[in-house]
Amino acid sequence: MTHLGDLLSAFLDDELDSEQRLAAEAHLSECNSCVAERDDLAAVRSWMRELPVLEAPIPLAARRPPRWTWAAASVAAASLAIGLAIAPAQPAPGLDVLASQHSARVVVSPGISAVRGIGGAP
Amino acid sequence: MADHAVPTWEEVARDHGRRIYNFAYRLTGNPDDASDLMQEVLLRVRRGLSGYTPGSFEGWLWRITRNAFLDDVRRKKRRPTSPLPDDDRTSLGSAPPPEDVLAESRLPEHLQQALLALPFDFREAVVMCDVVGLSYEEIAEATDVPVGTVRSRIHRGRKMLKGMLG
Repeated sequence: MTHLGDLLSAFLDDELDSEQRLAAEAHLSECNSCVAERDDLAAVRSWMRELPVLEAPIPLAARRPPRWTWAAASVAAASLAIGLAIAPAQPAPGLDVLASQHSARVVVSPGISAVRGIGGAP
Repeated sequence: MADHAVPTWEEVARDHGRRIYNFAYRLTGNPDDASDLMQEVLLRVRRGLSGYTPGSFEGWLWRITRNAFLDDVRRKKRRPTSPLPDDDRTSLGSAPPPEDVLAESRLPEHLQQALLALPFDFREAVVMCDVVGLSYEEIAEATDVPVGTVRSRIHRGRKMLKGMLG
């Protein structure tokens, strides 16, 4: 007797045509071995289908800018930081007084910073 | 969405995002990898929608998903593997009493670990069938193999899972 083999999974998944299904049912009615295997497969199939459905994180693709935009944003941020570092150096009434009393450190990127103030105090 | 219509990206994200994430999680066992893969797939879908010809959308989408996953696997071969999520590590770290072994073996995290132990082709076919809910024909289209091969992979994958889980 030829056992059903992988037709059993297709049987459980309703992937057999009507003729195959009838033949499989006829075989199962007289083959305990295939019945036992079908039951094993049905148990696994059931465990798999009962796995919890996990909630997906909110897709970022709609709002995540492409990489060139990130690069442009980085350049803009760096420009702003440099501008902030340079601005106090421009002659401006009152700022010299503040500059003599304070120092400021602007980090442009890790490892690179600009310091404005007396003696480069932190 | 209507049959044979080209969906918008928003429709794909809304209607398929969770399935893509669950597929990726069951294949990787890692939520961060699954999230990254989902984002990557949705990006590829957005880029590819303009060239999509209405037809078997499921086959098209899951082929993209599969390719993104395989690309990710190839990239990660050059990097150390990620650790297991904390919850999985905790649940696997304890030794259950014998009477609980059978019930424990069916816990989602044990089933997940058994899935990860399957050869990739079997794992993929079983997950596409039982988690994603694709037909054999859709799986065949997505994985570019005959339907008979899909049937064999699902069958062998399930038998291996039964052997591991009792």
